[in-house]
Amino acid sequence: MRYVGEPIWASRSPAELREATKHEALINLAFAGAEAEILCPYDSTALAPAVLADARRTHSLLLSGGHSGTRPDYAVPFRLPSSGSLPLPAPRDDAMSYTYRTDLSQVRALVLKHAMDAGLPDARANDLVLAVSEVAANTLRHTRSSGTLTIWHDPDEIICEIHDEGVITDPLAGRREPPPDALGGHGLWLVHQVCDLVELRSDNTGTTIRMHMSVSSPRQRN
Amino acid sequence: MWYNSDVDLLTTSVATVESDSEPYTLIELTGEADVTNSDALRDLLDAEVAKQPRTLIIDLSGLRFMDSSALHVLLRANRTMDRQGGVLALASPRDAVAKMLRLTAADQLIPVYASVGEATAG
Repeated sequence: MRYVGEPIWASRSPAELREATKHEALINLAFAGAEAEILCPYDSTALAPAVLADARRTHSLLLSGGHSGTRPDYAVPFRLPSSGSLPLPAPRDDAMSYTYRTDLSQVRALVLKHAMDAGLPDARANDLVLAVSEVAANTLRHTRSSGTLTIWHDPDEIICEIHDEGVITDPLAGRREPPPDALGGHGLWLVHQVCDLVELRSDNTGTTIRMHMSVSSPRQRN
Repeated sequence: MWYNSDVDLLTTSVATVESDSEPYTLIELTGEADVTNSDALRDLLDAEVAKQPRTLIIDLSGLRFMDSSALHVLLRANRTMDRQGGVLALASPRDAVAKMLRLTAADQLIPVYASVGEATAG
């Protein structure tokens, strides 16, 4: 199998670049052991040096000016590039927060209200409600404590963040399509399907998942 | 899991409906089906599936929201119905629920119809 993928270009937002860099790294993990040749074009004239430095760590072979060579920067064994594991930037000052325990219906109502206020069309508002509800449901499934929902928006996008004490150790969590008859594993996968961008940070103190929906230029979704 | 199931969020009704061909079981779900009430939903479906109906139709028209926990309950019931030689069908999902069934490909495993009438026609 051969494919070409260019998830990183200069006009992407900082959040998109962070997550796309992580995605590039995870491709190595997802295709480990598979017969696959993957070509990832990077515009070295337009991208920031830090982005290109991460690219050198996430790819085993660099083609430049017609020449190729293995890269000493390539991270083996697998680890995420630093930009994919740094703490996320703080929410906006005017973000609202809500602490939930079992009241997921209230969580959904809050997300729906804010999504409507931010100007998301109905179908995309429902997508965001589903995504946030699935992540909040994981708080109930996997922790014994409450979780926090934080919502903010600007003219470009609405962001919902869930933080709880759960720990996600699988770097590919939510990125593999579960078999249709699986009786688990659909939650985080749905989150990745319906949101424009998902950022996940997890360590032994807890997990933060940030779900972005673009308001100004809605993308074509199914 | 330490929470109690929220019975008010989701209401259910079960009926055996006589039809021209043969009687079928109709379950109506109204409200929101999520992880907080999926145990109760599972118990209800288990009880109805155990009666081995030939056809079990779940009317989703009143369901405003469904999460993956509820989906797993439906998939589990579908497996048992299959094994028993019966048919589970879903009817009249709202747009958001229909989309979720499509994204998870659950609609490839469980037939989804636009109405209960279409579901009975098979």
